[in-house]
Amino acid sequence: MSEQTVIMTQGLVKFYGNFQALYGLNLEVRRGEIFGFLGPNGAGKTTTIRCLLDLIHPNRGTVRVLGLNPQANPVAVRARTGYLPGELHLEPNLTVEGALRYFNALRGNKGDWDFVRQLAGRFDLDLKSPIKNLSHGNKQKVGVVQALMHRPELLLLDEPTLGLDPLMQQEVLRLLKEARAGGATVFFSSHIMSEVEAVAERVGIIRHGELVEVAETATLINRALRRIKVRFKQPVDSNVLAKVPGVSLLSPGDGKSMLLQVEGEVDGLIKTLAGFPVSDFETERPSLEEIFLAYYEADRKEVK
Amino acid sequence: MVTIFRHALARSWGQILAWGLSLALLGAFLVPFYDTVASQKEQLMGLLQSYPPELWAFFGDASTMFTPEGYLTIEFFSYMPLIVGIYAILLGSGLLAGDEENGTLDLILAHPVSRAALFFGRLLAFAVATAAILFIVWLGFVIVMNWSTLNVDWDKMALPFLSLLAVLLLFGTLALLLSMLLPSRRAAAMVAGILLVASFFITSLARVDKNLDTVARFSPLNYYQSGEAIKGLNGGWFLGLLACSLVCTILAWWCFGRRDIRVGGEGSWRWSWLPLPARLRQSKAS
Repeated sequence: MSEQTVIMTQGLVKFYGNFQALYGLNLEVRRGEIFGFLGPNGAGKTTTIRCLLDLIHPNRGTVRVLGLNPQANPVAVRARTGYLPGELHLEPNLTVEGALRYFNALRGNKGDWDFVRQLAGRFDLDLKSPIKNLSHGNKQKVGVVQALMHRPELLLLDEPTLGLDPLMQQEVLRLLKEARAGGATVFFSSHIMSEVEAVAERVGIIRHGELVEVAETATLINRALRRIKVRFKQPVDSNVLAKVPGVSLLSPGDGKSMLLQVEGEVDGLIKTLAGFPVSDFETERPSLEEIFLAYYEADRKEVK
Repeated sequence: MVTIFRHALARSWGQILAWGLSLALLGAFLVPFYDTVASQKEQLMGLLQSYPPELWAFFGDASTMFTPEGYLTIEFFSYMPLIVGIYAILLGSGLLAGDEENGTLDLILAHPVSRAALFFGRLLAFAVATAAILFIVWLGFVIVMNWSTLNVDWDKMALPFLSLLAVLLLFGTLALLLSMLLPSRRAAAMVAGILLVASFFITSLARVDKNLDTVARFSPLNYYQSGEAIKGLNGGWFLGLLACSLVCTILAWWCFGRRDIRVGGEGSWRWSWLPLPARLRQSKAS
């Protein structure tokens, strides 16, 4: 495992009784990146994260976090990690400050309390409020603050924006970028594609306990199919365009307009189109959500 | 571990004061009442002897009612394992499983805290909280005895509380062990509670039915001395109860170190979580 690899799993298998949650998961997260872990509920995102912190024990496979085996050195791993669980529960009888001071004490009082106040201010979070009086969204803010307060090397965040309003979601995403800028590695799970697309440099798509795709976000989007609508000043031979590698004709139209589908780079198509009298050109760039759904569509077809 | 211990103890202060002061008040009421009982010895003796022996089996020997240790046994120590035992069982069963079921354990264990520190920090807090309750009650008795003919030295008065502490530690750690084995905290508390009540009945009934002697040997309360400990603590029984508590602790720790932490809101595992060899699980899954 290289020094640049912060998280590494190989052949990770996890059973809950008779139910298999992970099927030999292989994952690698590099130092200093924001890695988005995508998948719907029940795909194995939370199970993976909990294996990384030794909250649950994998049945098979290798796990390394920050170069350490979490099962052998759980305390050392957790000392350098900030974690936000997907299902956040806090002691209701404490105040926000009481809860954060308790978490800070568990870390040997290494947290930066000025930074805590700064984070609380950015989230408009009242430190004196009792936890039991907080809304779900405000509890989530406490969770984010406790994960960040000691400026960890690695952030493991399970659905960090869950329950937050759009403004606060943006604030969390800004904080993730700031953490990365400060040298931290961010590994976060989500099923909200737009936020992953907004901050993650690389994404992994997990499906039924298996990692089906890992790629740079931009590459994944560029590599995907895109639809292109072209209008010409006069009718053209659609067969010429259909022969361009990666291009297929979805609708030939009347020769003056046609709908094409392009897989991969569009360079070849554009160079071919340069020889024709083009009057309009529209391209539909797929969102990460569409790409993600495509993996699940393929899965549904397999099931059928 | 110190942080875990201090936090767990801080969470128990309300319970310590509530239980300790309530029982100390009961003691403060019972001690002066001894003077009245002693002054009406003749009339009461006749009345007490009219009760059936089966009834006395649960509270002690009626003929000892007018001795300090007999009076304290009948009026207080005979049923204390049941009363405070419920507290010990609820606290023991919820020591880890309670936070696990309400989802807070997940986040605590994501901090640089080893499972050993969490387990033993909380267990120590449980033992200290239980001892603190008994200390408050003992203090209540000792203070009020200054104004009563029920005069027992403070150090001798501590002995039945030590015997009671050993019983409470045993049932608390038993509940803790059961919470590691059974699907939920509630199930663990229920089973431990049934064992406590069963132990109370078996031990009591064995005093009138000698056929139960063999069964009673396995009953923890058989080794609880009650107020009789004022005359001298049975070290073997006391250490035996503590040793059983230690065994429960070791087994509970063994289970906790090897099990998965449940996700908040999950409630309880199905029975199928019980340890099966990985191969067997895989063959079942396939």
